[in-house]
Amino acid sequence: MVEIDPTEHEIADLGPMLKDVDDPDELREMLELEEGGEDRAPVKTLIEDRLEKLEGDEEDVDPASVDLTDLTIAEIANMVRDVEDADVLEDLLEREKDGKDRKGAKSQIESRIESVTGGDEDETVEVEYVPPEEKYPELDHPTEDKRYVEGVSGETYRDMWVYCETQHGELLDVSKEMLGKARQMMDDYNADPDSDSSDDESTSSYGGDEDGNPEEVIAVVIGDDVEELAEQAVAYGADRAVFHDDDRLERFRHKPYTEIMCHMARDWDVEWRDYHEPRYTIFPATDNGRDLSALVQGELDSGLASDCSDLYIQDAMISNPAKTGTPGDSKEFDRILHMPRPDFSGFEYSTILCIDKPHRDFHPQGASVIPGTFDLQEPDEGREGEVVEHDIDLPEEWFMTEITDADQLEEGVDLTGYEVVVALGRGIGRDPTEGIELGVDLVDAFEDAELGLSRGVITASYQFGSHVEQYVAEERQIGESGQVVEPDLYIAAGISGAVQHTVGMEDSDTVISINTDADADIKDFSDYYIQGDLFEVLPRLTDALAEGDLAAAVQEASDD
Amino acid sequence: MSFDEDGHLERGKTPTVMNPNDKVALRAALQTKVRHGGSVDLASMGPPGYKEVLAEGMEDVYADDLYLFSDREMGAADTWATAMTVATGIDKMEETPDLIFAGFKTADGETGHTGPQTNWCLNINENLPDYPLITHVVAIDVDEDEGTVRVKRLVEGDVSEIETVEVDLPAFVVTDPEFEPSYRKAEHRLRYKDFREDARERAETAEDEVTVWNHEDLNLDPDFIGLDGSPTIVSGVDPIPKGEGAREATELTPDDEEGMEQVFEEMQPFAAGD
Repeated sequence: MVEIDPTEHEIADLGPMLKDVDDPDELREMLELEEGGEDRAPVKTLIEDRLEKLEGDEEDVDPASVDLTDLTIAEIANMVRDVEDADVLEDLLEREKDGKDRKGAKSQIESRIESVTGGDEDETVEVEYVPPEEKYPELDHPTEDKRYVEGVSGETYRDMWVYCETQHGELLDVSKEMLGKARQMMDDYNADPDSDSSDDESTSSYGGDEDGNPEEVIAVVIGDDVEELAEQAVAYGADRAVFHDDDRLERFRHKPYTEIMCHMARDWDVEWRDYHEPRYTIFPATDNGRDLSALVQGELDSGLASDCSDLYIQDAMISNPAKTGTPGDSKEFDRILHMPRPDFSGFEYSTILCIDKPHRDFHPQGASVIPGTFDLQEPDEGREGEVVEHDIDLPEEWFMTEITDADQLEEGVDLTGYEVVVALGRGIGRDPTEGIELGVDLVDAFEDAELGLSRGVITASYQFGSHVEQYVAEERQIGESGQVVEPDLYIAAGISGAVQHTVGMEDSDTVISINTDADADIKDFSDYYIQGDLFEVLPRLTDALAEGDLAAAVQEASDD
Repeated sequence: MSFDEDGHLERGKTPTVMNPNDKVALRAALQTKVRHGGSVDLASMGPPGYKEVLAEGMEDVYADDLYLFSDREMGAADTWATAMTVATGIDKMEETPDLIFAGFKTADGETGHTGPQTNWCLNINENLPDYPLITHVVAIDVDEDEGTVRVKRLVEGDVSEIETVEVDLPAFVVTDPEFEPSYRKAEHRLRYKDFREDARERAETAEDEVTVWNHEDLNLDPDFIGLDGSPTIVSGVDPIPKGEGAREATELTPDDEEGMEQVFEEMQPFAAGD
């Protein structure tokens, strides 16, 4: 029940009385009473004005007078962000201490005081370490007991480590590509910062580590009889190549490979490895390389981005409170490996960063890179570098999985080397079987052509007629996870043009695209863009080729 | 024998659709259940809406128990934080699984890391046996008498290979998208039919039967899961810049005779001979 029933008072009395009412709900109730009773317009205006004044105030709390016990910690954090006056903040802090005395609220106000008064030499406020038992008293805290979390902080990290995958006694091409890229990044990194001319997406110059000493590229080679490959790794750009030989390591095996690489990177006691862990680790995004990257980074208590399409090292300004420890604050993290990778859609890329948080380091910063992303550099046989053998005992229980057999897969259809490639995408979805037939017909109308497919056709669950099923196989896929082709003529029918596809065809001489969409991304990779239905256009092209005479006749006619 | 299926549906933008890579893992689990008996449990981490996905998965593979690890604190997890959550969930299950199946990747551009990292989290958990990891599996065969599992796995490199790998149970299997189940015996096909009927009956109530565990049930520190426990963050999303292959297209429609003629002229030099 309200204290004042407006219907019992004259309008002249109500004005001063309303000034003492501070509860919006009470005012609303008064408004209802008035509406249900006398319903005087000036009285309603009076009450509404008072209501507006109160509610308007609420959005704009006055830090000097607000009752802190009404506010959540988050609201306090938001409020103090706009307060510049240290005295007001000090007063707030006192009032919080007298009131609810919440740790979170106090630290918000304190850190704001620190930042308006300049703090000590402008240093970022250290986030106080609160042991989990205090922070979450309702839990038993098994996480710290489990060895999942190494939980080190403020350790030393140096160098860029590159895992060089091998196959049949040779370095994979992607291993050489990564070494070239790592060399280039670390050369830029070690360069004199004053001469830094790096742009948005290249590595900044730091003049070496924090003490000005250059950081190295370390190659890791694991296998059977791989010393020679370690020497090659130096020629491709490593300053130092460490290798582990064992005849049981001829083929990749998850457990021993992971244990060996982690021992090299974290536990190995050698004179040159005078740091806790590597600063960066780079892996190939192959089947085995991706697995190893996940296991090694997990064991080293850090993170990684997979399938990267570029890499560069720069400072990063981060405002994510999971990393800065303080909501609302931005903090600059230096020497951060930027890892752009295409999204699933293929039309955007996300840049992933692996960043320390307060009281827990996330180093090494790890990445895996798509084979073929970086240029394969010529080896420099004269390059100097050290080859180091790593030798520890490998217990038998690391070899629980036994590889009993290994066969090379049939290479299948090789789409490279043809004059013409006709590629089909999801545009065939209306009638997939007919779509394939039309594609094959056009292929047959050329002298030297093959049929390719986009990833979309292979992953779609289309039902195909049995006579065309043989054409629908992963071996015909063009793009990032398929084949890379550069024919004289590339015909893309019903393909939207995600980057995963275009990396496999963009070097073709002439590209003709057919798409019902007026603005598919493939247009930017096409010389001719026919906006039309492939079910109509493909047969026309096939007929025109088959009846070359007719086309020639048409041409004669149009020449006239 | 009890089998666990690890559905890895985290980070999904479309929570009501099961990621095709996980369906592959489900098929591998089902094949094992049909051929060798035992039970299949499905587990996933995700928002409460994923119950629906688990229920759908139950119908697909005739799963027994369903588990969802779901909590605000688990949100925005990267693969590391996800792996820790899922591994802790498996630890809490009543029966320790003999075989754990995981899909290769999520549908929205995840990384292929969650399976291996979950395996790694499990293997340093002293309450659980060691699970040897086998990835990129395209075929699987369990020998109950020997207590072994034999798989074929794909290995890509400069040339692609297929390996045959044998290991003692228990084991952790990450399926490749190319995995194909096989049911050779009539007895298997009959059992398959029985499961299907049973699953149909349970389908209606499946969503209500999902066991949901939050971080307190799993006894996980919020600092070590979700966004707070993730080493990596996404700093920005940008359109892919146009590559070197970008060019200016001549645009035309099929009615444009002159334009089509130009296209034909480009093609004609490569036409098949007489």
